Order: sequence, then C-alpha cells, then structure tokens
Amino acid sequence: MSQQNGDHEMADADADAGAGAEANESAQSEVRQEKQMLRLLPGSTDTAASFAFEKEDHTLGNALRYMITKNPSVEFCGYTIPHPSEPYMNLRIQTDDDTTVFEVLRKGLEDLSELCDVVEDKFSVARDAFNADNPDRAEAQ
Amino acid sequence: MSREQYTPPTLQDRNAGPSSSSQQSQTQQTTSQPYTGGGFNLTAASLDALGDDSRPIHYLCGDCDARVTLKKGDAIRCKECGYRVLYKERTNRMIQFQAR
Amino acid sequence: MTMAQPLDVSRYRSERHIPWAPLSAEEIEARRLVQINAETVTHTAASDFPGHYGPEQDDSWVVERFRQGLKVDFHHNKPHDAAFSLVGIDASIANAFRRILIAEIPTLAIEDVFFLDNTSVIQDEVLAHRLGLIPLTGGREGLDWLHWFHRAPSKDAFTMQTASDGDETTPVSTHNDYNTIVMTLDIECRWATVEKDGWDGKKKAAEGDVAPEEKYIKSNVYASDLVFHPQGKQSEYFSGENAIRPVNPEILIAKLRPGHRIHLRCHCIKGVGSDHAKFSPVATASYRLLPQITITQPILGADAKKFARCFPRGVIGYEPDAATGEQKAVVKNPMKDTVSRECLRHDEFKGKVKLGRVRDHFIFSVESTGQFESDELFLDAVRLLRAKAERFKRHLTELEEGR
Repeated sequence: MSQQNGDHEMADADADAGAGAEANESAQSEVRQEKQMLRLLPGSTDTAASFAFEKEDHTLGNALRYMITKNPSVEFCGYTIPHPSEPYMNLRIQTDDDTTVFEVLRKGLEDLSELCDVVEDKFSVARDAFNADNPDRAEAQ
Repeated sequence: MSREQYTPPTLQDRNAGPSSSSQQSQTQQTTSQPYTGGGFNLTAASLDALGDDSRPIHYLCGDCDARVTLKKGDAIRCKECGYRVLYKERTNRMIQFQAR
Repeated sequence: MTMAQPLDVSRYRSERHIPWAPLSAEEIEARRLVQINAETVTHTAASDFPGHYGPEQDDSWVVERFRQGLKVDFHHNKPHDAAFSLVGIDASIANAFRRILIAEIPTLAIEDVFFLDNTSVIQDEVLAHRLGLIPLTGGREGLDWLHWFHRAPSKDAFTMQTASDGDETTPVSTHNDYNTIVMTLDIECRWATVEKDGWDGKKKAAEGDVAPEEKYIKSNVYASDLVFHPQGKQSEYFSGENAIRPVNPEILIAKLRPGHRIHLRCHCIKGVGSDHAKFSPVATASYRLLPQITITQPILGADAKKFARCFPRGVIGYEPDAATGEQKAVVKNPMKDTVSRECLRHDEFKGKVKLGRVRDHFIFSVESTGQFESDELFLDAVRLLRAKAERFKRHLTELEEGR
C-alpha cells in the first residue's frame, strides 16, 4: 500500500513533464535519491581515466565517443562493453595536460545535448514545412 | 540419501506445493498447517481438503461431447452413447501467463 | 587533384602530394565519400577529427558549424511510415537515434494474461504470446502520463540480478491505475440459430455450406474484441477517442468452433523494446547512405543504354552529347540506386564510372507500429538521447563531488 502512495506522489511531480521515459525517471529522483550510474574505474589520473556507465550500451557509448574525440585536447577516447551479459559500458579518455578527463567528459555530454537540440529544431522545422506542402497525409492501413 | 530413506511424494506434498495463481491461495489457506515432513502425515484435515472420493467429477465424452458425471466406482462409460473414452474438463482455476 | 581521387593521408604525408591542411572545399567534399569498388569498399571510416590532417584543419565541435551543415529533407511523412534524409551527421549519432527508436522508446503492451477459461485449440501460452504482440494505442497524453511498472527481478535472470545488486532505488511496483491498463476478452463461439441470428447454421451445414462465418457465430476472434476497462484516474485520460485500443482492430487472434470459449483478463504495462520486442514502437527503423554515381568519361549511344540497364529504372537518364550528337548517360536520381555494382562488371565502362556512398547522408526510414506517429517517434528518440546526456551530466557532478 505504501508503494501505491509513492506512485501517486510521482504522478504529481511529473504531471507537466515531457517525453515518457525521462519524465518518470526525473520524477522518481524527487521522491528518492537517483541511483549513481557513473563510476570511475581504479587506476585513473586527472588526464587518463576510465568511466563505467551502468545500463548503457553502444547507443550512448559510440555517440559520446564521437563527441569527445571531436575535442582537440583529447588524445584518445574509446569505449568498450566488457561483457555482453553485464549492463556496463566503459569509456576511456586520455587528454592533454591542459585539461582533465572530467572537463572533457562534461564537454562531451554538453555537446551531445546541444547536438540533440539542433537536430530537434531542424527536424521539427523541416517536418512542419513538409506537412504544410503535403496536407494530405491519409494512408491506407 | 539411501534407497531406504526415500519416501515417495504423497497427497500432503501436493497440498504444500507452490500455487501458481492467487485464486488458489484461498483453498490453500484452509489447509495450511506446518509441514511436518516425512511425507506420510495423512491427517484427517488434509484428506478433508482433498474432498472425499465419492464427490462426483465431470467429464466430457470423447464421441458425443456430452457431459458425463462419474462417482468413485462408476463404470467409465458415456451415459448417452456408451463410448468408453472420457476427457477431463479444463480446470476452472485462473491461470496466469506472461505475454512473452 | 580531381574530386573523385581518394584521400589517402599516409600518401600525402610521405610524398607531400598536396599542401598540408586546411583542406580545400573539394577535399572536404571528397572525404565525405565511401568508395565502392568491384570487390571492395574503401574509405569507410570518418576522418573529421581534430589532428587527423594536422593542426591547420579545424575539425573540432562547433555547434553553429553543425547547425549550418545539418540538413533535414522529408521524402514522405505518413503516420505509419516516414522517410527523410539527415545530412551532415556522423554515423555514431545517426545509429544512436536508430537504436533508441527500436529499443528505448517506451510503449504500452499486454504483459500479463489471466486465463479464466480457454477451451479453444490454441494453447494458453501461445495465445498469451500472441496477445502481447498486438500493438495498442490510446491518447498520447495518457500514455505519457502512465508510469513504469517495476517487476521483481526474475530469480534466474542473471543480468537483472547483477544490475540490481544492492539497488534499493527501484522498488517493486504494485499494480494500480497509474501503471496498469486492464483489458478483457470474453468470447464464445456457437451455432447460428434462427431465433438469434435469423438463419440456421446447422441447416446450412447439412446443405453443404462450408463457410464458418455462415454456420457459426463468433468463429473468429479479432483484436477489436478486446475490451478496455478504465481504472480509477484512467478514465480522465483514456475516454472517447483516447481509449486504449488495438491499432488495427482486424488482427485475427484465434479461430473458434461451437462450444469453444476464451475468457481472459490482460494487464498492459509500459516497457521498452530492449526488454521485449512487443514494446518496440517501430516495425522497422533503418537508414542507408545516399548512393553516388560519378560518370568520369562520357558514356554514349548503345553503351549509354546498356549502362542505364545496370541500374534500377529512373537512376540513369539521357542527354544529347554536345560533342558527338549521340545520347549521353547522365545520373538522374541516385536515391533510387541499390548499389548493385553491376556497371563495374562490364569492360566498356571501365574507368568511366565511380560508385560511392555519401558518408554523412542518412536516408532514414521509420515505420511506426501505430502507437505514436513516425515523425514524433524520431523526435522522441532525439529527446531521449539528450535526456541521457543530461542524466550523466548530473551523475558526473555527483561523481566529482563525491571524490
């Protein structure tokens, strides 16, 4: 019964939130502490470190790898999924001396977020323009 | 375990087994008592719960699909057409499946 | 340097073949091409990384540059099938969108089936599986409002157990109106009778009528026979045209004969495609790279005709050649090409044509199963990738603070 109440609280929290998946997750974090999904692997320094991302795969791994490799102060960036039946993705970053892996990872995530904003904008504009030009969207099912 | 120690499963074991549905739990509660092991503890309560053997059971005729009611000791035979193959009816319990 | 020539960096380095970067516009264009040869595919890896062409070439991430380079082109946009081009994006990003479309956008599907009666010929577990695969739809707002149902991890699912080791943050849910949709199916087949239906099915059978629909009533169970039962708050979100229903009411679930009955209750929950394909919002979500055909020397007359026949119809067209007055083969619509490489098998075209694919031109095809519209699904995928990035930004902050 207590669980039921918990769920009702969540409903109030995300009443106005957007896309389904994230809405529920962000709502949960308000009720209780969000679980830490990012871990620093042992043996890391400020300019060379490996991060373990829990419950992530090639979707985020490869996209993030690309964004981080785009950073000129990064010497090396690669990702691996050590074992297919364990839900971990490891990301290795090595940087120049003038920055740290944390700055680089943060910039990578920010860039990826920015990229998504741009794609969303451009896609919506193109879609709306196309729909305006082709008002008949009916189709035989 | 040696051969001599082995005890065959009994009626008691069947009652103690896990239930697959919530509807079953009702019947289970009436019979629930500590499992005393050994397998041979045929108490009056456990026999009661199973129902006595004289309770009529319904079957379906394999030939004419008529409903046949049999009690213990009755001839296994359809009362309508005399056919000797009878089928059990589907359980009236709820059964849960995952849609996977 | 001609445009079609490969950009082999090691060669440039050793022979000083071209001046060192920055690359000319031509070279930038050339490195967009994946080269397709008779037996091999070369230049498959992207090279737009800082340092690849030395310090002079600026390949670092600049959002304005990306915005200018990105192009979205719609080919068609129907609720169940959208096709569009995404130009100026890396394969890793395009693939992330594709993977999210298939496996990470949540949808509603039947998860638990409670059989009260099933005397049909189709077995309980098979029927349950069939029901699970029926695409459901309903009000978009309500589907977004619906919560996750957290199932207790299965005892024999190793991955689930390792993932939830010491994980008290995701408790097991109980079914309630926020996370579970209830549907029922109660249908019994019988002979058609004069009193109820106006004709006698048994008589028709005796007369030799073999059509089941003539003899029996409710011999086919369709998805439209599923009845939605709103629970609690659900009636606010799922009423009228927003009711939870199968996308296609004509999906055949089972076939019955007189006396057969199916009576069951379904619990539908929200889930993602990585858990089970029934939760995937798309039938397919795929992309291909835009084919490029470069005719380097004129192909004329009968050769042009033969050349056009190496490609699907509409790819190659003809133009009068100014020099000879003959018909000349020209590329009309490379989008239609399948890149069969047939033209590379004929000697008369040797050295006259080059095939390739544009590395950053993705022709997406998204076919929704109907719960959401295809174009909306792609936007959801983009938002979900951003949400992932934002989530790990939060986790990174926590990680740095905890250090």
